[in-house]
Amino acid sequence: MPVSPLAQQTRGCLSLVAGATLVFLYLPIVFLVLFSFEQADTPGFPITGLTLHWYEKMLTDSAIHSALFNSVLVAVIVALLATTIGTMAAFPLVRGGIRFAGTARILFTLPIMIPGVLIGLGLLVFITLLGIKLGLHTVIAGHLVFTTPFVVLIVAARLQGFDRRLEWAAADLGASNRETLRHIVLPLIAPAIVAGALMSVTLSIDEFVVTFFTIGPQLTLPLFIITQIKFGVTPEVNALATVILVVTLTVFGVGSFLLGTGRRFRRRESE
Amino acid sequence: MTADTASAADVAGLAAPRPSLRRRIERAAPFLPGLTMLTLLFVIPMGIMLIFSFWRTNNDFDLVREWNLSNYARFFNQATYVRTFVKTLVMASAVTAAGLAISLPFTYFLVRYVSRRFQRAVLLAVIVPFWTSYLLRVYAWQAILGEKGALNQFLMATGVIQHPSTLFVYNDLAVFVVLIYVYFPFAALALYAALEKFDFTQLNAAQDLGARPDQAFRHILLPQIRTGIITACIFVFIPILGEFLTPTLVGGASGSLIANLIVNFTRQGQFPEGAALAIVIAVFVTVLLIIFRRSLRVEDVVARG
Repeated sequence: MPVSPLAQQTRGCLSLVAGATLVFLYLPIVFLVLFSFEQADTPGFPITGLTLHWYEKMLTDSAIHSALFNSVLVAVIVALLATTIGTMAAFPLVRGGIRFAGTARILFTLPIMIPGVLIGLGLLVFITLLGIKLGLHTVIAGHLVFTTPFVVLIVAARLQGFDRRLEWAAADLGASNRETLRHIVLPLIAPAIVAGALMSVTLSIDEFVVTFFTIGPQLTLPLFIITQIKFGVTPEVNALATVILVVTLTVFGVGSFLLGTGRRFRRRESE
Repeated sequence: MTADTASAADVAGLAAPRPSLRRRIERAAPFLPGLTMLTLLFVIPMGIMLIFSFWRTNNDFDLVREWNLSNYARFFNQATYVRTFVKTLVMASAVTAAGLAISLPFTYFLVRYVSRRFQRAVLLAVIVPFWTSYLLRVYAWQAILGEKGALNQFLMATGVIQHPSTLFVYNDLAVFVVLIYVYFPFAALALYAALEKFDFTQLNAAQDLGARPDQAFRHILLPQIRTGIITACIFVFIPILGEFLTPTLVGGASGSLIANLIVNFTRQGQFPEGAALAIVIAVFVTVLLIIFRRSLRVEDVVARG
């Protein structure tokens, strides 16, 4: 196909824009990581020398330990609950059987769209009114509100592409509903469930806004980082940030790999 | 994409006679935990917040259950509040426009000129920041804009300035740049999902029939990716209405947005005042979502990994 000079120019310009955009996306992260190896007490230029000192310091910092423990505890409980509740809710949402399915769908997407400030303040007001003490349990409640809808969306997307003939085949062969669910349906949507759980973990560990409103005297990792930033930053924060980035990226990688294999499998199935 | 894989038997199932009551309860039961959870932790708290916004606190910060509109009246009568609110709207609009201006050429290039396999890799590169800590992505900008940041280093190395400047951070411009950065992945994902379905030979066809490239772009491409553009706008605009972390970290004293006011009220125990502001935002968000509900594709942005 003949390509006009104009089209070629457009293509050239666009590739520049795209390249610049990727640089824009990653440059801050590159410098953030670089500064975690800085010798001096404040992160930034000029780089006086490279060291692993801040990583060592981070490993022995007991405040980080307890914040990390709180974050992981919350994330694990949130992921378990959100995945269970979300997966269950996805079934009737996709397969019908409930009245007001449209309203239900809106209810389950709203918490994703509504700013965290509103979710957090709403909960705080409610909790105060009930006279419940703030603590990690209220943080878990807050995180459930926005993680569950993510699980619902991910599992529902998977269920929508599900070939129901497989279930009818199982029923024809004498399987009960429960057996079909356990041996046919759940194994096939398992990648989406696991991906949903992993997404819940990353969302929960990173969540700042809702946590900020619903937490008691404890600290989670993001809250710890904020206090550090406010009272003078050291490269220790950058070291911690680097570790968190690597961990969330790994979790994300596993999650998206699972969804990817799922997608390939489904495509083969429909051919 | 997934909807058309539904088999004919699925459709037949819909036409089947009405299932018995027991069967219907059985089918709806899995929905109950989720429904209960969201009602208890989301719907009711929002309702209570609405009620709170009509109450007031006395001088000892005790709640007084007197119905009145003074929280709202105070908000709309105080110039600083109104100014902050307008500024938030302007900021959200500007970031949305800039986000589109960057993500449209980016995704257009990606879908049209990049090979299928490489496309997935680049898209992944865009999604990854979306799943990494939002707080850390904002903090990372200190490394660029701060006094000891990369920008100062670069400008000094090239001789533009002699001493590090503190002007790049703690102002509205910094908030603007960082917000574009934070919300770019949303816009890019929404537009990618729309462009992916577009048949680019239509552009050639239009030009063969005498359309200029810009006409083909405006009349052929834009109408077909409308839902993608709207989804992108919603996913950038709405979160910024509730944004308070970015202004706190890089906005300084002058960079506050409306959500910063809510947080300040809450910190001082003035729940009714904070609730009133939150309700103003909530009304805005709800109206936007209702207007654009048919064009909003939430799953395009969040359900692809």
